Amino acid sequence: MKLALLCALVALAFIAALALGDQPVPPGEVLGALFGSENVPAPSRIIVTELRLPRAVTALLVGAALAVAGTIAQAVMRNPLADPGIVGINAGAALAAMVVIVQVGSLPETALPWLTFTGALAMAALIYAFAWRQGTTGTRIILVGIGLSALAGAGASAISVFGEPAYVQRAMVWLAGSLQDSRWEKLPHLLGWSLPPALFAWAAARELDLIAMGDDVAQGRGQPVNLARALAILACAMLSGAAVAAAGLVAFVGLAAPHIARALTGPRHARLIPAAALVGAALLLTADIVARRTAPPLQLPVGLVTALLGAPFFAFLLWKRRND
Amino acid sequence: MTDPRLAAHTLRLAYGATPVIEGLDLAIEPGRFTALVGPNGCGKSTLLRALAGLHAPAAGQVVLDGASIARRSTRALAREIGLLAQSASPAEGMTVEELVAQGRYPHRSVLGPWRDRDQQAVEEALALTSLISLRHALVDRLSGGQRQRAWIAMVLAQQSTILLLDEPTTYLDLAHQVEVLGLMERLVKEHGATVVAVLHDLSQAARHADTMVALKAGRIIASGRPSEVVTPEVLRTAFNVEATVLTDPDTGTPLCLPRRTVPE
Repeated sequence: MKLALLCALVALAFIAALALGDQPVPPGEVLGALFGSENVPAPSRIIVTELRLPRAVTALLVGAALAVAGTIAQAVMRNPLADPGIVGINAGAALAAMVVIVQVGSLPETALPWLTFTGALAMAALIYAFAWRQGTTGTRIILVGIGLSALAGAGASAISVFGEPAYVQRAMVWLAGSLQDSRWEKLPHLLGWSLPPALFAWAAARELDLIAMGDDVAQGRGQPVNLARALAILACAMLSGAAVAAAGLVAFVGLAAPHIARALTGPRHARLIPAAALVGAALLLTADIVARRTAPPLQLPVGLVTALLGAPFFAFLLWKRRND
Repeated sequence: MTDPRLAAHTLRLAYGATPVIEGLDLAIEPGRFTALVGPNGCGKSTLLRALAGLHAPAAGQVVLDGASIARRSTRALAREIGLLAQSASPAEGMTVEELVAQGRYPHRSVLGPWRDRDQQAVEEALALTSLISLRHALVDRLSGGQRQRAWIAMVLAQQSTILLLDEPTTYLDLAHQVEVLGLMERLVKEHGATVVAVLHDLSQAARHADTMVALKAGRIIASGRPSEVVTPEVLRTAFNVEATVLTDPDTGTPLCLPRRTVPE
């Protein structure tokens, strides 16, 4: 029931994303264009299917990928503030891509997800080395993550100082988190890198339920926790890498979507993962509409919009848990 | 004593370079209730975790049914041994029944469905811990005693014949302490379970357990029937406490009345 409502919400945001713009298209024509009706005027059809559809689909997928990555991170790190965006996994992915983009200008679409995935995985390993073994429940993992995230950001800035200005310009837009460069050619890579790990995580929902309860509880029930954790981190890094490769750094969605979903469906991942994916998709679709429509024809980076929403949410979570 | 199923041989446990248990030999009597007692930091919890396969020995081994537990998969081991670790974090937003159902993990394959016998095990565990009326309650809203019973129910749903419990009565009021210990006793007597529990109250341990093992600084200083372990000498050595030991008029088990601490 709640999942059906969320689906309806995503559909609504999706149609709004296709309808709204400098050239508004009535929702009826949007649906007509989507379902290939003959009665839709050609300009409307082109605007919807050629210009806005790839962007809306990218927003939907990136939002869902970030949300599922955040859900996995919160389960394995057992920390409500864990999110690949906050602990620097996304920043690691972005840095890895930055290094190469600034050097060579552009990359084949196939190479970018590999780079971001490697960066994300390397960052997860660093966080593990610095914080994980001392226990993950406290604020330590968040502090280390924020530190590493800042370091990766500083690294990206340093690289941009020495890079070719034109290349850097390109990279910076992407680093701020933007859906402007959404093209059909990029979608297969986004889908290929995000769908398998998301489905895998969903299939392993029971494992996530258990590992979220702590190593001793999980292992006492017979879970091979190290294997489960390694696979979960791998899935998380793939999702993070896919999202960053498609849209750059988009804050807040990975943190907020799991919390919102959990409030709706409870902590069990069999329902939490699809719910979080839907919430993440709706959030990013909406944020992108705001990014496009706030100061037209200027387009704000969607990462800026989500960051503006995310900072208060992060503060709220910290405040709510101030006594933990 | 019948052949022990679970035993430790010249076990050495350490955290990094810091040794916790040194050359310990211990055989757990099957079908009995064994109480582990000792001062804080003596290594009881670490020993319990090692017996459940959660702490890899630095030397020596833990043996189950004649083979080292290191050779079993975590899942297979969990079907034989259920551990309730200390201060398990409450699962936020999880209901009692959902928590108890986690105990079925080792009986299900990775994508296996929830079967009738899984539900049956959960029902039995809920009934044994008097939690049927609270099955839909959220675990993090329960009182300390109810929450502890929910965790115990989770371990019971695991249906392992060996139960290892780290301070199952801590945080419980007196009635729930008696209830939990009575439950342990029933599991042993009526269901043939083997229970090993870390306990702090020596008189309670003596009353309910068949065997007691007293540890100090990673070594066993006394083990045997409660009357052999709860003695003024052992209490002085293990806890640095001078105590009077009386006999429970009902059960004949020792009662410990601590008087004062004594220097080492």
